[in-house]
Amino acid sequence: MTLLDTRGTGNRAGGPPHRPPGGPAGWLRDLALGARFAVTGGREGWFRTALSAVGVGIGVAVLLLAASAPTLLNAWHGREKARENLGQLHEPRASDRTLRYAQADTSFHGDAVRGRLVRPDGAHPPVPPGLRRLPGPGEMVVSPALRDLLAEPGSGPLRDRLDYKVVGTIGDSGLLGPQELTFVAGMDDRSAGESYRIDRFGKTFDPQPPSARLVLLIVLACVVLLMPVMVFVGTAVRFGSDRREARLAALRLVGADIPTTRRIAAGEAVVGAGLGLAVGLLIFLVGRQAAGAVTLWDVNVFPADVLPAPALAALIAVLVPAVAVGVTLFAQRSVTAEPLGVVREAPVRRRRIVWRLVLPLTGLALLSSLVWEPDPVWFRAVRLGVGSALLLLGITALLPWLVEAVVRRLHGGPVPWQLAVRRLQLSGAAANRAVSGITVAVAGAIALHMVFTTFQAGFAEAYAKSAARPVIELSGSAADAQRTRDALATLRRTPGVTWAHGTIDALAGRAGDRGTRGADGHLSADSATVVVGDCAELRHRAPIGSCRDGDVFVTEPRNGTGRAPGSVRPGARLNLNPPDGYGEAGPARPWTVPDSARRVTAVRHPGEDLPGDVLATPGALSPALLRAPEMKLRVGYDKAQETAAVERIRTAAFHANPGMRELSAIDNPHDRQYAGVRTAVYVGAVVVLLLIGAGLIVSTVEQLRERRRLLSVLNAYGTRRSTMGWSILWQTAIPVVLGLALAVTAGVGLGTVLLTTTETGVRVDWPVVASVTGLGAGVILLVTALSLPPLWRMMRPDGLRTE
Amino acid sequence: MTPAGSLLAARDLRKAYGRTSALDGVDFSVHPGEVVAVMGPSGSGKSTLLHCLAGIVRPDSGTVHYDGHVLTAESDARRSALRRRDFGFVFQFGQLVPELTCLENVALPLRLNGAKRRAAEATAREWLGRLEVDDVHGKRPGEISGGQGQRVAVARALAVRPRVLFADEPTGALDSLNGERVMTLLTDAARDTRAAVVLVTHEPRVAAYADREVVVRDGTARELAGTA
Repeated sequence: MTLLDTRGTGNRAGGPPHRPPGGPAGWLRDLALGARFAVTGGREGWFRTALSAVGVGIGVAVLLLAASAPTLLNAWHGREKARENLGQLHEPRASDRTLRYAQADTSFHGDAVRGRLVRPDGAHPPVPPGLRRLPGPGEMVVSPALRDLLAEPGSGPLRDRLDYKVVGTIGDSGLLGPQELTFVAGMDDRSAGESYRIDRFGKTFDPQPPSARLVLLIVLACVVLLMPVMVFVGTAVRFGSDRREARLAALRLVGADIPTTRRIAAGEAVVGAGLGLAVGLLIFLVGRQAAGAVTLWDVNVFPADVLPAPALAALIAVLVPAVAVGVTLFAQRSVTAEPLGVVREAPVRRRRIVWRLVLPLTGLALLSSLVWEPDPVWFRAVRLGVGSALLLLGITALLPWLVEAVVRRLHGGPVPWQLAVRRLQLSGAAANRAVSGITVAVAGAIALHMVFTTFQAGFAEAYAKSAARPVIELSGSAADAQRTRDALATLRRTPGVTWAHGTIDALAGRAGDRGTRGADGHLSADSATVVVGDCAELRHRAPIGSCRDGDVFVTEPRNGTGRAPGSVRPGARLNLNPPDGYGEAGPARPWTVPDSARRVTAVRHPGEDLPGDVLATPGALSPALLRAPEMKLRVGYDKAQETAAVERIRTAAFHANPGMRELSAIDNPHDRQYAGVRTAVYVGAVVVLLLIGAGLIVSTVEQLRERRRLLSVLNAYGTRRSTMGWSILWQTAIPVVLGLALAVTAGVGLGTVLLTTTETGVRVDWPVVASVTGLGAGVILLVTALSLPPLWRMMRPDGLRTE
Repeated sequence: MTPAGSLLAARDLRKAYGRTSALDGVDFSVHPGEVVAVMGPSGSGKSTLLHCLAGIVRPDSGTVHYDGHVLTAESDARRSALRRRDFGFVFQFGQLVPELTCLENVALPLRLNGAKRRAAEATAREWLGRLEVDDVHGKRPGEISGGQGQRVAVARALAVRPRVLFADEPTGALDSLNGERVMTLLTDAARDTRAAVVLVTHEPRVAAYADREVVVRDGTARELAGTA
């Protein structure tokens, strides 16, 4: 039968009773009735429904964001692919439709600035997306973010560096995100050596396989962020379940059968989930407008790019109501709404720990095996995801056992404590459910923080070591020795610079070695490093003693300093145009190391390159003969004025050659990257904790309402308000404290296992552990404080009135 | 002025809920060891009178004197303390804390008064014996019958040795046999301890256990002739 079918109940005319309509029509009517109950419970009913909707909504918003990842990455990579050309396999000949192209990246106070230089060969060159025309010499077009940065008062050094005339702004199609700092400038002769010819924009996107660390972080972040969301969605749809069960019992009294009450419950759950979907969509649409302002891990995207994949969005739209109904029906498996009340069918049995350990131990085993088994990245990712999920899910299975085991052993104590403990002994399920979400969220947050903190600290140590010596290394193309001398002179004149050295380095092959082609098609040959520089500069590479222009030296490394002794000897024949690259080998350019070349001992200073195999003065070997000669500059600066000096050196280097690359690690970009992600994880954990706190308030207030009469009786007995207030505090605190203890243990354990798998030193982020634990304590106090007004209200004598 | 020798007395009590007058100038008194039945139909104001007398509800006007104190002038905290120390309560239903065992329920008011747990439970055990329900001391309220539950509630009310016991329809949810047993035990125990009893009921059979009957109707009270 279905409920409240007026045709079925009426028999006033004395005829045969109407047969209650069954089948889909009747079921739909029951579902509709349940839906009506969800929105007709007065202010309190609306509050419960709204809280469920907000809880589910936040979960849906996170799921929609996760579902946007494929679209977002496609859009991001698509933009990068469309605007870039890293060089064509066969460089095109100069024509009306080609241009020379070079990179001119720089950085300003740790912010990366992407720079590209262009010089058209003719009147109709290709134009990258976002530009209407290519800038001419001395001109540049900039991204809106760079335009704003250049306009800032503190950006004087950057304005000096990019001293082009701004003639336009790059449109969105030429940017990865609205906060990207990028420019396209007209090329002059300084960068000619860096440039290559292209006839189109758009590269073949060939992503590198992600590193093990990146895979770990991505998989872990997905699992850790989505697990609490799913647990919370499951909890949120059960807000107000006690009241719902009481209502179903009332419906049984007027003739509804058990399947009907289940359909009504399902209808009620679907409304909560449906509203949750709507709220989630709203949160997502509003939230994605802020996407442009957020830079996470140096990734900044346009709001329009944050678009869920249609199939995944459809899956969410179906899955969330299905989960809501499933959870509701699952929760009712041990409950039968009878006409005179709710009967809990499940016998009170002591929870067993054995099967509850299966999930976390399986997870732990999967994660631990990552330590010693070298697998393909995808298989590691699967095991990582499944292992982390099982471990976190296992916590939710362990928590009820832990609460029950601890509470069972608690005896005595003051009256509030006794009331709370007894309440938990009798029915701690609602509190356990809510706290499960806290536990998963906190454990996940702690594990993620541990991983991020350790990685961040590792980078910080490396950068601190690198930056301990006030030296910047620079590298750029070197057409001739004079240009290197000029660059060194410019750098030496720069305020804050204490010294500067530089040479021209290139590779040379053995004469007759045609090279071998690797599996990836790359042609390479056994090579030696040739270094060309004035005597004064060569002395910084090796103790060469007396020297004059025209001299040549070969190095004999000490143990462990490089190539085998005697690898290049006086009289050796070298090819200065060695086979290297994906194309065909160029014509050999033979050069013989003079017999007069002196042997010197190579000394490798800590943090410096190998000294080179052959050291030659320009009089002995012209840099013009070398293939892809590069100037290698080392610039010392005054540590006391590090920030200003470093920016001035960058400006001087840019002016010497805009294509000059900075090789040293002065700014630590990872610090901000990791700090941003850690903040995001922390904010996420706080939001989940607050939501769960809201859920605990609802369940506490519902319990109080059920006990309205008892509270009035206790008030009549003269029970102090503080006694009942403390009782609520303990009732909330006991499961939350146990949950947090479990979360800290599991979080630190998970973090330790994950860091061990990447062979990284384990570092526990104790401040975060303390602050998340403190937040948990805050939730306890918040729940208690917000439960007190309804408690006072329900302790009024009104509850004693029965008439 | 309060009637001579009275332990608890009310004068010209008035109380309204919105526009509905529950008490309209009620005078009432009870002496130590006396059992007074307050009778009347549903909605007549008898429970409101009990709540005012016990200091649970403050009347709109009028005074309640208890043992030389003007109860209606006392603060909420003072009245709560008085209820914990000097008064006992038995209600019709829903008065036992479901999570606590019967023994703990009876010990509860003693513990609220500051007694140590062992001492409180020893006293509670004694009262459960006197009310003939010592066999259910370890059970929770949901595991015992209505009659047993009501006897546990009476034991709880008397365990603090109250000077006034307020009973609001104490047998309303019981069958006649159980009701009579509860009333016998309640009045005997009260008389043993010289506790005054204010017994709200609408059943003449229950009122018959009282020394005196007061009828409340339309917010006013009058003594039933021949019961004083």
